[in-house]
Amino acid sequence: MVNTKNFVDVKANFDSVSLLDEIKAKGRSWKDLSAQYGVENPEPPWKVTLETTCDLLAGDSCYRDHNEIDANDYSLAALDRRNEEDELSASLYKDVPYPENQLLSLAHSMIQRGHFDENELKSCMASIKERLLDEDSPDESNTTFLFEKS
Amino acid sequence: MSDKDHGHSHKAAPMVEEVSDFEILEIAVRELAIEKGLFSAEDHRSWTEYIHTLGPLPAARLVAKAWLDEDYKKLCIEDGVEASKAVGVDWIEGMPTKFGTPSDYCNLRVLADTPKLKHVVVCTLCSCYPRPILGQSPEWYRTPNYRRRLVRWPRSVLSEFGLQLDDDVEVRVADSNQKTRYIVMPTRPEGTEGWTEDQLAEIVTRDCLIGVAVPKPGVTSNATRPVRKALKPVPHDH
Repeated sequence: MVNTKNFVDVKANFDSVSLLDEIKAKGRSWKDLSAQYGVENPEPPWKVTLETTCDLLAGDSCYRDHNEIDANDYSLAALDRRNEEDELSASLYKDVPYPENQLLSLAHSMIQRGHFDENELKSCMASIKERLLDEDSPDESNTTFLFEKS
Repeated sequence: MSDKDHGHSHKAAPMVEEVSDFEILEIAVRELAIEKGLFSAEDHRSWTEYIHTLGPLPAARLVAKAWLDEDYKKLCIEDGVEASKAVGVDWIEGMPTKFGTPSDYCNLRVLADTPKLKHVVVCTLCSCYPRPILGQSPEWYRTPNYRRRLVRWPRSVLSEFGLQLDDDVEVRVADSNQKTRYIVMPTRPEGTEGWTEDQLAEIVTRDCLIGVAVPKPGVTSNATRPVRKALKPVPHDH
């Protein structure tokens, strides 16, 4: 794990981030999607991986033997993250439902700490979108399908 | 009948058939964190598998068992960590770290209600919650409104949750912290005489275990709870 101590004293600011504002404006919440498609699960499938990301960034709860845990090695302390989530959920993301507001707040906190910047995030999202929406893009030449591809 | 039918219908459950920007954002945050070396993909996969196994059923079973067995009830009150083993939760060895975790610390206390004493749990600082035995916290538990108001006006907040307490019932609010987590053991309701452990466990809902509801025969799910914004948000540098 990288030494992240350079990041820990950074106090987050709560200025808006244009990419996150755009997602806030255009993104469809789980509440809307589940109602439209008749899905009963109250939380989006990505909630559990979001929780894991939060846990692992806090470091002190990550999947490691306790002897390997360095209490000072964390990227985003749980208490700082929760305080900032409270603040952002009451201000910039106040009209965003849960857990989308938790996700936007986490991304905001990470950008403000310099873990990645807005452009990197934008580019990564574009590549993921392409990956998810273009079924033929990966090289599957060495894969045997047990069903007929339509 | 085709091979696909197997003699019974396979109607697929409805699913969301579009990818939202939020879903993409979650993946991007995770993948960038891995790319930057903040954690590994393997750690993420392993921890997710563990988190996936958590839910409120072990805590419900613990309470049901205690209602049927006085000795076990005594153990729950004296040593919640030891009592948890009987419902499949080992707060120490059962954790991926094999020694608890600092954020889900291995100190569980079971708060037993009586007809004249009602416990309710909060985390005023953030949203500490006994995840290994109760799963993920609900949204309202995380809100500053619940966290700040419950410690000031517990009876009012409980009444907003539909729980009206008589004046002669003492209310105790337990504030969770990094080292200690709590669950409430409510009193066994009337009308459950002769019930099995399975039947009893069904009415011990998550909200009963937090303390904002009490078990009732016939009620096996959590009601929709109010999620209110803080009226006067308090800046965190205060």
